[in-house]
Amino acid sequence: MLEVVARTLQANSAFRALCRPLASTWVNLSGYRRLGLKYDDLLREETPIIQEAISRLNREEIDQRNYRHRRAFQLSLSHQELPGPQWTKAADDVKYLQPLIGEVSQEFAERDAFNSMSTVRK
Amino acid sequence: MLRSTKAVAAKAARAHYASVAGTPTVLSTANGIKVAAMPGPADSSLASVSLVINSGSRFETADNAGAAHFLKAFAFRNTQDRTSFRTVREAELNGATLTAEATRENITYTVQCFQDAVPYFVDILGDIAASTKFTEHEFRDIAKLVAFESLAARSNPVARAIDGVHQAAFRSGLGNSLYALGSSPVTTGDAVRQYAQAALRASRVAVVATGVDAQALAGLVGESKLSLLTNSAAADLASPKAKFTGGVQQIYESASPVSHYALAFASEPGVSQALANLLGAQKRLKWSAGVSPLAKLAREEGFGVEAFSFAYSDAGLAGVLVSAPTAQIKGAVEKVAAIIRKDVAAAAPEAVQRAVAATRLDVAESLATQQGAINALSKLAFGQRPCTLESVDEAASSLAQTAANVFASKPVAVSIGLSQTTAYVDTLGF
Repeated sequence: MLEVVARTLQANSAFRALCRPLASTWVNLSGYRRLGLKYDDLLREETPIIQEAISRLNREEIDQRNYRHRRAFQLSLSHQELPGPQWTKAADDVKYLQPLIGEVSQEFAERDAFNSMSTVRK
Repeated sequence: MLRSTKAVAAKAARAHYASVAGTPTVLSTANGIKVAAMPGPADSSLASVSLVINSGSRFETADNAGAAHFLKAFAFRNTQDRTSFRTVREAELNGATLTAEATRENITYTVQCFQDAVPYFVDILGDIAASTKFTEHEFRDIAKLVAFESLAARSNPVARAIDGVHQAAFRSGLGNSLYALGSSPVTTGDAVRQYAQAALRASRVAVVATGVDAQALAGLVGESKLSLLTNSAAADLASPKAKFTGGVQQIYESASPVSHYALAFASEPGVSQALANLLGAQKRLKWSAGVSPLAKLAREEGFGVEAFSFAYSDAGLAGVLVSAPTAQIKGAVEKVAAIIRKDVAAAAPEAVQRAVAATRLDVAESLATQQGAINALSKLAFGQRPCTLESVDEAASSLAQTAANVFASKPVAVSIGLSQTTAYVDTLGF
């Protein structure tokens, strides 16, 4: 039930317009952009699905991702933030991993379905 | 869709297809895809469906050398509608076999299954043709397989000699290697997609089936995504017309104690198989070398001789592959060449008769198999003439004359071994 409500609200453009200013404030407050990270860098990567999704990134995307992670660790260790102009811009904070995660989880679900199915002889 | 099909090769129906039941029918769908099918024996529910794309390695250029090998390896991979996992699992549930084959002319994806599963697999073949994704992560997987196949072929001297024979004989086009080498410029899934897009024009695609009615198959093809293929303006593939140039390939190989030497002659594609049988190196009799002079020589001297032939749409090759210990290879090749010049080029009528009989048997046996029927149907679909008993009989009357001409011409030679011990083709007297 809750999910249905959530989905309806998400699809509602008026609600989205209402939330957008709040959302960007929220994201800016959460601080990851000040370390130069993108949202998809924060997804918990210790799952088979996300591991597989990461392995499907191309070389350049992997290098960029690793660089952002290492820079963020270094900043975090030294209790610093990037200078303002180097913060991740909203336009750059794209979902580079989530489409792949969606694809991979569908494939995993398909595999589970095939592995647990029973055949019906006609 | 059924109403829009039209018979384009009625004369094919007259050809005699040995023990495969039924005669082949070739139809054309509304968008120009050829559909060729041969019904199976009445008491068999076995069927096969193949997607044949006229885009083998002969259509590669310097910019996409090896693309055909990669396209073959992309068989049954993820499409917009199906994952390759689903395709494979459902094929398993149907007990079907999925195979992909690349020749110099065609790339063929084949499904062997029962007749009731044919509609499902035509749908899958349509999916593959119209919407394979060619993703990068699959390409990385496939590149490993392709690299292995290429390496295996490179380390097999016979495969290397045959590849070399084509390269020496035809240079580009038919001379292109079947295998993607490590230096192939195809390094992304996108590059394979580009080749596939140029290859998947309706006029280059045929659906070929055994054990299925052609009209019904044309209907299924019309309902599948294959009906989306067009002869669009995208650049078409092109291959130079095969021209036998003659030449030598000398491959220095010191690691093996055995050397190999291939000699190949240009011939019409229709007679190459009969010429190979006239060379007669095959051992058809278990306890005897027979009367073939080449087989006798090989047996007496203790080296290997194997005849081979190739028939393409516009060229043919017939020749022998000699394998001998490195110290003996020169003498062996010289004796083989002398016999070809003396005995095979001026073959006795009995020898010609033996070669024709052997070829008839080979052709009949090949047409009786599913693979042989698929090959013959693919040729019919693209308007070429497959090898049948009739075509063998037609060539038989002039085989002696043909042999005299072919085996007097200059052959191409490929040598794998030491350059110090090998024979050179200009010293063989052709």
